[in-house]
Amino acid sequence: MIWPFRRKGKKKKPKPHRMPHDTLVPPEGVPLHFDVAGVGARIGAQMVDILITVLFAVAVVIVMSELNLARGQTLTAIFMMLFFLGRIPYYVITELLWNGQTLGKRMLKLKVVSADGRSLTAQSLVVRNLMKEAEVFLPGTLIFTLDAEDLVASLIAFVWIIATLAVPLLNKRRQRLGDMAAGTYVIHLPEPILLPDLAQAPVPAVQLGKKAEEFTFLPHQLDHYGAYELQTLEDLLRTRPQEKSAAVEARRKQTLAAVIEQIRKKIDYAEKIPEAANERFLRAFYNAQRAHLEQRQLFGDKRADKHHGREEDDEETGAKTQ
Amino acid sequence: MSDASTDLIRSARFRAEREQGWRRLENLVARAESQGLRRMSFEDVRDLSALYRQATTSLSIAREISLDRGLLRYLEALTARAYLSVYAPQERLGSLVSRFFTHSAPLAMRRSWPYLLLGLLCMFLGGLVGYLLYFEDQDWYRVFMPGSLAGGRGPGASTEYLRSVIYDDDPEVRGLGAFATYLFSHNTRIAIFVFGLGVFLVAPAVLLTFYNGLILGVFVALHVDRGLGWDIFGWLSIHGVTELGAICVACAGGIKLGMAVLFPGQKTRRAALRDVSRDAVKLALVAALMLVAAALLEGFGRQLVQDLNTRLAIGWGVGCLWVIWWTAAGLRARR
Repeated sequence: MIWPFRRKGKKKKPKPHRMPHDTLVPPEGVPLHFDVAGVGARIGAQMVDILITVLFAVAVVIVMSELNLARGQTLTAIFMMLFFLGRIPYYVITELLWNGQTLGKRMLKLKVVSADGRSLTAQSLVVRNLMKEAEVFLPGTLIFTLDAEDLVASLIAFVWIIATLAVPLLNKRRQRLGDMAAGTYVIHLPEPILLPDLAQAPVPAVQLGKKAEEFTFLPHQLDHYGAYELQTLEDLLRTRPQEKSAAVEARRKQTLAAVIEQIRKKIDYAEKIPEAANERFLRAFYNAQRAHLEQRQLFGDKRADKHHGREEDDEETGAKTQ
Repeated sequence: MSDASTDLIRSARFRAEREQGWRRLENLVARAESQGLRRMSFEDVRDLSALYRQATTSLSIAREISLDRGLLRYLEALTARAYLSVYAPQERLGSLVSRFFTHSAPLAMRRSWPYLLLGLLCMFLGGLVGYLLYFEDQDWYRVFMPGSLAGGRGPGASTEYLRSVIYDDDPEVRGLGAFATYLFSHNTRIAIFVFGLGVFLVAPAVLLTFYNGLILGVFVALHVDRGLGWDIFGWLSIHGVTELGAICVACAGGIKLGMAVLFPGQKTRRAALRDVSRDAVKLALVAALMLVAAALLEGFGRQLVQDLNTRLAIGWGVGCLWVIWWTAAGLRARR
């Protein structure tokens, strides 16, 4: 059975983000949190970009040979030129025009941001993409030249490849050397989705005719939980089962009943809750609890979780004994 | 205020009052991201920046008063997106390119003249040593000159053969194909390494440039020995002035990076490297530009122009143009 409020270890803080995230302070002074893009996603975007540049070069070569503009050695020369001379300008120009996004990054919803919170400069984009030559393309071509015959060269190539892959994994912002030199890093583009406010959304069905105060909670009953439990309850109420099967419905009902049972025990809520009113009870409790906690917070009493009272007690008793 | 809204708890009321503005901001951000700020109307852009500032205020208030995680996440994402589109780089590509040519590149070159001089000195000393060593013992030629670069030209080759290479019109190695081959030739690789390896405490950049000078020195010495001195001078000049110049510029950039690592002064090494990279990158771009120009000259010019004096004029003329660009451009911007 799932009991969402129970956690192992008293001091362990809840971790809302799975990704490593980073704080960036824009000139307005309000820190923003971004999810740092992982190495996997960035390699994916890099692949897409390489594919695009190669396909472009191939297309130009095909068109030229169809139109009999060039042949043989000249065609290979043109291909090499388009590929080798075109790639760095491609990255710089796309990132400049689309504010830190190449086509590949657009596809994977990644973006380059400046670590100092200001706008990206052409300078930093040139630096990070020039370094790409040594960090991405050189090891990329070295892989194909690995050769058992020439052991020393292969070893150097291998170390180089490993080193360029290791650098982003070793720092928190997943910066490669080019990013460090340019003062940039890559983030996942956040998606703003405004969910309906649970405290505002109309409580479902029947009780519109009745009095609004179906359930009442006394202040001392609301002193048990903190923000963590409240937000876990919020998540529980927000998740709606995708498929409408009887089994899923039944499981949800069971969970809600279990949650209500625990809450009633914890806060000494004497009245039994009829099963039909489960959802309404939880919503009413959520409203009351949130109003209470927010009120406390306004008075400087921030309660992170249900252990909020204990540490202070410990400190008080500790002070007395000394 | 109506009954319905007074019933709401404080944070829900806070949201109800501002939601419209956020929705509008969401719309504006979506448009700014898809079509760019430049194509939006004045009112929209004005609203975008005003609403963005309101959203940052909302976010910092919400962090204090609201425990609604859905709302906090939304505001966080919305503000972040709005921040990214408000602080997007606003420079046009054309103005950027023209600024590079008129101010930033020549200014960077002028700022790093001691390093450029050092680079030139490395190359010149290498050349001198190579030249003198050749006359001491011809075997030095084989020591310094990599076989692939010599192309059959060595102490053993006949004078006629050497002359034929200098004044040769082989249609197979002309035009774009030749251009590309030259571009990826020895000197381009040297320039890239000279720049990149400078970070490792200067030495590799200096040594490579010196070595390149040695090759040049023995090569020239070989031809001088056969009485072809003036001819090889012309043959090298037409593209070499630009190409060897590019290596010197790259060397200067490399030395600059290495010096920042060696002597960071009051800053941390990382900060010093970042500061110095502003100029070093411009030097690298100038060197790249020069290499492309040199490849063009080598691919087309050297085979088309067979006359010695014309070769000299083109080579040193182009060299003069580079120097004029570095010294004369952007003088007014400095004041």
